[in-house]
Amino acid sequence: MTSVAFTPGIAALLLFGTFFVLFIMRVPVAFALGLACLPVLIIEPRLSPMTLFNETFKAYNSFILLAVPFFLLTANLMNVGGIMNRLVHLSRTMVGNFPGALAQINVLLSVFFAGISGSSTADAASQSKIFIEAQVKEGYGLSFSIAITAVSAVLAVIIPPSILMIVWGGVISTSIGAMYLAGILPGLLIAAAQMVTVHIYAKIYNYPVYPRATIKEFFVSAWQSIPALFTPFIIVGGILLGWFTATESAAVAVLYAAVLSIFIYREMDMKHLYNAFAETGRLAAVALFCVGTASAFGWMLAYYQIPKALLENVTSWGMGITGAGFFIAFVFLVVGCFLDAIPAIIIVGTILQPLAQSVNMHPIHFAIIGIVSLAFGLVTPPYGLCLMISCAVAKVPLKFALKDTMIMLVPMLLMLAAIIIWPEIPLILPKLIAPELLK
Amino acid sequence: MKTILDGYHRILTWLMVATVAILIVPVTLQIISRYTHLIPSYIWTEELSRFLFIWMVMLGAMIGIREHTHFEVDVWPDLAPKPTALLRIISDVLVLVFALVFVWWGIEFVRFGWDQLSELAELPMPWIFIAWPLAGVTWVIFLGESLAANFRVLFS
Repeated sequence: MTSVAFTPGIAALLLFGTFFVLFIMRVPVAFALGLACLPVLIIEPRLSPMTLFNETFKAYNSFILLAVPFFLLTANLMNVGGIMNRLVHLSRTMVGNFPGALAQINVLLSVFFAGISGSSTADAASQSKIFIEAQVKEGYGLSFSIAITAVSAVLAVIIPPSILMIVWGGVISTSIGAMYLAGILPGLLIAAAQMVTVHIYAKIYNYPVYPRATIKEFFVSAWQSIPALFTPFIIVGGILLGWFTATESAAVAVLYAAVLSIFIYREMDMKHLYNAFAETGRLAAVALFCVGTASAFGWMLAYYQIPKALLENVTSWGMGITGAGFFIAFVFLVVGCFLDAIPAIIIVGTILQPLAQSVNMHPIHFAIIGIVSLAFGLVTPPYGLCLMISCAVAKVPLKFALKDTMIMLVPMLLMLAAIIIWPEIPLILPKLIAPELLK
Repeated sequence: MKTILDGYHRILTWLMVATVAILIVPVTLQIISRYTHLIPSYIWTEELSRFLFIWMVMLGAMIGIREHTHFEVDVWPDLAPKPTALLRIISDVLVLVFALVFVWWGIEFVRFGWDQLSELAELPMPWIFIAWPLAGVTWVIFLGESLAANFRVLFS
């Protein structure tokens, strides 16, 4: 690796420079990442564009990433198979009497959804269709409705199961079972912050309230939802008990959702099933294709030892765990504005890991800080997939809902700060339930 | 011409749906075979699911170009139709470069693995590698369609 044509600085400039020019020219991100590798691959005598093929092949030839289509499929089956309706009804009996009832239901449903599916984009897509129009009809602001749907969708990758945690576990070798347990409390705290935000909005703008549900109504709809609510226990429990691997657990979630939809709730027909498959394939493929080119890009960075060069100065700043935590969160938040979360883990997560290690940050703490920050990146412009999806469903440009989204992000960022300052928040559950995973 | 492209698009979509639908089978077999002796423990289930997965990604990436579902970032203000078409043409040409790279070196990629067999199921590897040049060719076709449409807007 001594006789390379470029110094790390020049190579970084070429790679990132080309990427940004292409990015601004509206080249899709997946293609911009691949194209950015080309000039260097062609000029460098020891490399050839074959690297692009080997690295994309290696990225797709991975059993771990199979979890992505499975979690999307679970979500799509939930939508068409009647699981979603029952969870909406249950949420209504629980928070329907709060001010801003429908928006509170929106947040609570995201929590339930997060426990079954591991995909925020799937959550944003399905809840936008359910809530945005309904909220506007009841007198909620359109921009508020889009924003709360998008920001509550990020819970899906924080509360287990989570696609991001599976990818993180595969790329940075961290226990997925431990990350799952660690994500529960931060996820619930962020959901609570969102419900407080909704409450304040509802008081200011006088958003409507539903009549209080009776205890009986609550128990009836809870009874009907029990089979669906049981999913997270099967998934997380199955992994902790070693019944199946993380990827297999995603397949189990698909089978379980299919059984519920076909045999218990009986609301699925062939056309719905075909559409669920097609939607899953479409979204999974474009997201994962990007993972391949991002891996090639990440490989190039590693080849020129760019991460080492970038971090050389940072490690000498002498940060403690908290300082490093804020730095890591900041980097992921900025990167999350421009990249999807999975490529960001592949490219940036591996860059930051030595830093986390050098300050003795617990790997699970590091993982949760990274994943929560990247989850927030799903609603930050210019590249915030959940916000883009919600705005697309409402047929307005992304700028339209920006102000309310940013307001809602403030309490969420405070929760992220709390997670950074007190490592116990993510670490307490794994410590209590599965201490052997923390070693 | 449009009918032919629509037909090709539909075939690719069907194939992708098939990969998604079948994908669940080998993974399920893998879990079941671990706990019962009803079916033998197939060692190739993992490999088969990975290969289906590769095809799913590549097929979806192919149709994504025609459906404009590959995620892109819009940092531009709202432009008039002609500047929008011009910007589209520029980005399409850049993606076209990538597509041609996939065709050119993709063929070499297939040739390189011509007589390789997969490790577990001993499937011929070219069946997998061919997805790359095929994606390149498909993108060239779909990009040609998009470029023609945008040039029409530009010179109308």
